[in-house]
Amino acid sequence: MKRSLLNQTILYGTVILVCALLVFPIYWLFITAISPPDQLRVLPPRFWPEFPRWEVFGQIMRDRPVLLWLGNSALAALGSVILSMTVSVLAGYSLSRFRVRGGQSLGLFILTAKMLPATLLVIPLFGIFRTLDLIGSLWSIILAHATLIVPFTTWMLKGYFDTIPRELEQAAMVDGCSPLGAMARVILPVSAPGLAATALYGFVLSWSDYAYARTFLTNAQTNWTANLGITTMKGEYISNWGDISAASILVALPVLLIYLFLERYLVGGLTAGAEK
Amino acid sequence: MAGIHIERVTKSYGQLAVLKDFSLEVKDGEFVVFVGPSGCGKSTMLKILAGLEEASSGSIRIGGRDVTDLAPGDRDIAMVFQNYALYPHLTVRKNMGFGLKMRGTDSTEIDRRVTDAAKILGVEHLLDRRPKALSGGQRQRVALGRAIVREPQAFLMDEPLSNLDAKLRVHTRAEISALHKRLGVTTIYVTHDQIEAMTMADRIVIMRDGIIQQIADPDTMFRKPANLFVAGFIGSPGMNFLRATVTSNGANPAVRLFGHEVPLQASQSLAGRDVVVGLRPEHIVAGPGPVTFEVTPRLVESLGSEKYIYVDVPSENRAEVARSGGDERRTDTIIARLINPDERIADGRITLSFDPARLHLFDATTQASIE
Repeated sequence: MKRSLLNQTILYGTVILVCALLVFPIYWLFITAISPPDQLRVLPPRFWPEFPRWEVFGQIMRDRPVLLWLGNSALAALGSVILSMTVSVLAGYSLSRFRVRGGQSLGLFILTAKMLPATLLVIPLFGIFRTLDLIGSLWSIILAHATLIVPFTTWMLKGYFDTIPRELEQAAMVDGCSPLGAMARVILPVSAPGLAATALYGFVLSWSDYAYARTFLTNAQTNWTANLGITTMKGEYISNWGDISAASILVALPVLLIYLFLERYLVGGLTAGAEK
Repeated sequence: MAGIHIERVTKSYGQLAVLKDFSLEVKDGEFVVFVGPSGCGKSTMLKILAGLEEASSGSIRIGGRDVTDLAPGDRDIAMVFQNYALYPHLTVRKNMGFGLKMRGTDSTEIDRRVTDAAKILGVEHLLDRRPKALSGGQRQRVALGRAIVREPQAFLMDEPLSNLDAKLRVHTRAEISALHKRLGVTTIYVTHDQIEAMTMADRIVIMRDGIIQQIADPDTMFRKPANLFVAGFIGSPGMNFLRATVTSNGANPAVRLFGHEVPLQASQSLAGRDVVVGLRPEHIVAGPGPVTFEVTPRLVESLGSEKYIYVDVPSENRAEVARSGGDERRTDTIIARLINPDERIADGRITLSFDPARLHLFDATTQASIE
């Protein structure tokens, strides 16, 4: 009994500590956003401002094209997710189901592509996009993000498809489906949690990108994504950290909400895919 | 409904041949069971019939139509899988109607047929549930329902009972047999369980290493096994094997078993040949008989209505042939299966006997049955 109490204390203590470490930066971001500028650097620091400036969120949306940036981020993220999911569903399914000569090496090769640092691809991609006249277009980052997302989601979906019995599509084929029809009518609906988890992974990866947007979109202000837009709020001599924090919260909010709504699917999807 | 004609089908994965020259004629409405140990090729043959695997060579006709190169959906067959393979995202109703929907059947007709099939199988109250809300037995019924609503030319069943517990298996076995009698649809059923094969089949196809060992009705399979493998596989417990050399004892050939000269009803030409003598456990009886021997059992297992008596085999009779088709590697004991035995049989010496007319003879080299 005593031992179990000690165990519980250690367990909950660790959980609280880890949560505090993770949540504190978000809390501090929020405090910075609503604190008046003259209270940001006071000592001892204030953990809740005396006069919170709630109007900051409305104000930055009026002063800066934050909604346009968010819209661009959403377009880029959705575009790269649709593109990557189309490719990785077909690739993951093929790797899972078909015995192809060298199939296993191909799978490992795709995984190796994931190990390359994103920055390594910036310069070759820049060259390619310049040739294709895509610099400044949202298509550049849609394609660039897809190159990062596809290797991982392919591998993740392959793992998920591996857990689905082959008999399901065999039954569908006996029932009159073509192989592709069996995939579309049976395997994909059954894989909904796995698809949701991988799509969300791709969405977050694209949404949080800065390096590619900074390289490919710098000269096209109307196509700036939210992350790129926020960095322009930082001045050379003066930076209004309150506004920057408020904008950061607005950018983080959509992803946070999606996570909250899809959490149950996500956990199921991630664990099911992780079995193999 | 239709007959199925399988002609010289082979299947190889690279160097590995899993089906060798498989030919079979299944009559319209017949219930044929493919049986054999794991890896004998029975499921592969079923998948080739369904079109889920491609044969390396050979041809298949269903109802006189060559379906060798047709897609599974174009063969007009329905299949029941070992793990049921119900679509987890669809209700029972939609699961059962899926095949008809794929064929563009009118929705009122689908509804009618699904309801009819559900009535036959007693699953009407489950039609709006998802598969995860069903028990194993209910899933099995739905899987059968999905097959019968299609009204196909043939049913293919791949070990459909192996995921059920022992009691439910016996019950469902009888239900499938009754369903077959009622619908009269040609059925090919795959199992590794010889009891299922014996109880359900019109004809059994027994396979080993991709080769058909014997095709016969259950009684013939039991009474006249074609070789040692079939003899050991069919029957529970499997046939006992004793090694002996045929001697010529005056007019009749004989073998020496348990220290007795046992006359054989066989040709004189067998004299001098090494044979394996087969004796079914249920053909050994307690008490004196035509050939009587006294033994001290190594082990007595009681099943209530019957007892299994394990008896040591004299070293001269030990056959290097395993019982039960190679699964059980005991060559130094035989089993006597005594029905309604004397309750006092436990330890100590007991008298057993058998009738030489019940003996089976197999060639020790080729393992084929000797008539």
